[in-house]
Amino acid sequence: MIKLKGMTGSIVRCVIPEDLPSADFNSEFGKVMETGGSILNGARIVLDFGARAISEATVTALLSGFVWPSGASVAAWITYDAVSQELLKRAGLRTSEPAPSEGGPCGALVLHRSLRSGQRVEHRGDVIITGHVNDGAEVLASGNITVLGRLNGLLHAGCEGGGEGEDPDTVVVSRCMEALQVRIGSKIGSLGRDAEWWGKRVVASVKDGAVLIEYWPFVKGENAGGVKEETA
Amino acid sequence: MTPRVIVVTSGKGGVGKTTATANIAAALALLGNKVVAVDGDVGLRNLDVIMGLENRIVYTLVDAIEGNCRLNQTLIKDKRVDNLFMIPTAQSKTKDAVTSDQMVSVCSELRKDFDFVLIDSPAGIESGFRNASAGADEALVITTPEVSAVRDADRIIGLLESMEKSPIFLIVNRIRPQMVKKGDMLGVSDVLDILQIGLIGMVPDDENVVKSANEGKPLTLGDGAQAAVAFKNIAARITGKDIPFMNLEVPKKGFFARIKDAFGGGR
Ligand SMILES: Nc1ncnc2c1ncn2[C@@H]1O[C@H](COP(=O)(O)OP(=O)(O)OP(=O)(O)O)[C@@H](O)[C@H]1O
Ligand SMILES: [Mg+2]
Repeated sequence: MIKLKGMTGSIVRCVIPEDLPSADFNSEFGKVMETGGSILNGARIVLDFGARAISEATVTALLSGFVWPSGASVAAWITYDAVSQELLKRAGLRTSEPAPSEGGPCGALVLHRSLRSGQRVEHRGDVIITGHVNDGAEVLASGNITVLGRLNGLLHAGCEGGGEGEDPDTVVVSRCMEALQVRIGSKIGSLGRDAEWWGKRVVASVKDGAVLIEYWPFVKGENAGGVKEETA
Repeated sequence: MTPRVIVVTSGKGGVGKTTATANIAAALALLGNKVVAVDGDVGLRNLDVIMGLENRIVYTLVDAIEGNCRLNQTLIKDKRVDNLFMIPTAQSKTKDAVTSDQMVSVCSELRKDFDFVLIDSPAGIESGFRNASAGADEALVITTPEVSAVRDADRIIGLLESMEKSPIFLIVNRIRPQMVKKGDMLGVSDVLDILQIGLIGMVPDDENVVKSANEGKPLTLGDGAQAAVAFKNIAARITGKDIPFMNLEVPKKGFFARIKDAFGGGR
């Protein structure tokens, strides 16, 4: 069943469960309009599809069957499927979480799932993933990123930073670091499988213009993983 | 029982989809089910060869779709076992000769007559994968224990999930116990940890597979070969039987064990 949830800043989140058959979209969105009609009229809504891939046909059907007739305006189309994100972006549609107030930061995005190859999450704010980030998956966050599972994919923390505006405190935390690269702000750290902390819990940050990997939590007196590489 | 339509697919090519389709189809038929194996790899006909039925092709799936014949005229009955049929595809057509909608209606017609419809498909990164899998409810994902094959399988599982296939089960093929520790070969537990879907079978790397392909006789129609036992076990598990897994590998530490090490000062 599709759920409507209030968010800060008068945004309404419309969560479409991943296990809802797409054949039921018509009737389910119809029900949402019946029950949530007054909330939707004039509201800014976030359509959250989770990891579901969305097609051209779904987008056009939703616009003409749901968005326009309900009087809502879509603040963002959220899907973790990278191909769908491209499709939406090419139509000029926003694919990352909207800030409660224009330009401001969002709250943390917490995902209780793993990201598969070909899935991508973009978020203005911090991101916490309780599952794995597999090889071929990507997470871009303007803030910090924490991965509680195994990290094999590509993370870019502080992805809106760069130059003067870069926040020196931005970090990536991983409980099992097995990624060959990690990006923070404008810096790229290339990592090796033979590194001492490979497979361990680490925190990555930017120190002296380079990505630095250290054990996490910090252990006093012990040498950290060390600076690997830096690219501006 | 309700008919089950299962697509056999993979991320990377050449990992054993066609081999698995032929062997599981034959094994399901031996268990007394009425089975049809459909070659959904349009343009790259080879299920008929592996099943040894290529000399009996009159009409193909594409003929039925183009209206040159009825669907049941494309069915080739396997004479070696009761209740086993196959539908060949055309060699000379492009991947788009069969659309998703056409595949859906082919499958719904086959549901009327069969217990199991198994669809061999092109590798998931190729066009034609979506069409081949459109009519299926369930999926079997094949991978070898190589890093690149597993990453591509991960991608395809994401696609299958968003296509609402359920259940999606995993088959790890071409396992060579001695090789696991070497270089880019993963252990099955590592593969499962990455892909996070249910395992329905582990198939050893077995030279008999190549021999049987050359002879055009699915291994599961004979006895003895290790791979035949593995495919028969998979067929039995598909029908809901609880069959213990063959011991094909040296147990290796999984992710959780490693995490524990990381926390237990194991560094
Ligand atoms: N368990 C196995 N042991 C040994 N050889 C195998 C095994 N499984 C498959 N093979 C061999 O691997 C090759 C590829 O198998 P197959 O044609 O079934 O793969 P496929 O996934 O259908 O390929 P494609 O993507 O090209 O359709 C064949 O030569 C086959 O005999
Ligand atoms: Mg094949």
